Amino acid sequence: MSEKIMIVDDSPTVLKFVAFSLKKSGFTVVSACDGMDAIEKISNLEESVDLIITDLNMPNMDGYMFISTLRENEQYKDIPVIILSSEGADKDKERGLEVGASSYLVKPFNAEVLLGEVSKYLDIRVNS
Amino acid sequence: MTTSNNIKDKFQLEIVSLTETFNEIVKKFKSLHSSITESYNKVPKATKQLDKINEQTEVATNQMLDKVEAITEREQDISGGLGEIEKLAKEGKDDEICELVVKLKSKSEINVADAYIIMDALQFQDITAQQMDHAASMLEDIESKLNDIVEALNASSAFPEKGGAYEKKIRIFDPHADLFEKKTEQREIDTMFDKVTKQKIE
Repeated sequence: MSEKIMIVDDSPTVLKFVAFSLKKSGFTVVSACDGMDAIEKISNLEESVDLIITDLNMPNMDGYMFISTLRENEQYKDIPVIILSSEGADKDKERGLEVGASSYLVKPFNAEVLLGEVSKYLDIRVNS
Repeated sequence: MTTSNNIKDKFQLEIVSLTETFNEIVKKFKSLHSSITESYNKVPKATKQLDKINEQTEVATNQMLDKVEAITEREQDISGGLGEIEKLAKEGKDDEICELVVKLKSKSEINVADAYIIMDALQFQDITAQQMDHAASMLEDIESKLNDIVEALNASSAFPEKGGAYEKKIRIFDPHADLFEKKTEQREIDTMFDKVTKQKIE
């Protein structure tokens, strides 16, 4: 059974691009348009996701709040989370670390970089 | 009496001169008001235009993404089929067919690689959308400030009612979004995150 990755972004372009790259590499993809949508979708899944890729600037619930909410929940606190955001200030990256993100990928990026980052975190999870 | 009359005349002249100056100031204010009105009316149009560009770019980009996805799927099918033919040709020892199939297969693989590059490049839409949202947000700020000036000049009747012109969109964007200028290397960010992750594990 393929590993399941959730992508959270309010940009349909980014959702499509990331989903395409991940599906081609054999991952199952679940998409959400913001933090609220992601929490609703993840809580309705029978089996949890193996990795989450999230944007920061989103309506309703931003990426920071979403990651914080996940980290407070026993069931989801250990899921690796990759932040996917356009060039932000250093404080954005620091805040991402504070709330418990595993990594930060700067947009725009190519599929190779994305997959490199994804396989790195899934490997860490498998090894541990 | 003559001195008194002279002073009176001088005062009258001064008052006339002051009145003329005031009239000039009023004229200038009126002209300023007209320029502000013109600018004020243009701002919502410019904002709407930016939103339109944003929406249309998004639709076009998504159409292209769908097409590229379909192309790569077909290309992968072609590549797989050619691989099968290659096997069959090898069994029949038909070297020429085999050579041609190898060439076609290679071209097909290049197509897939090119399609991936197009997919990467199409991320421009997400970045430019954020830049346009930033510009639109600045225009809305200008509009709001112009509105304050107009109200201070007591000329609000010349403008559309507050909120009546158009419904303002909620804008979520990164003001630093840039397609070409990366201030931080991905390697540096990875090091920063790896360091903290290791500390947490220890």
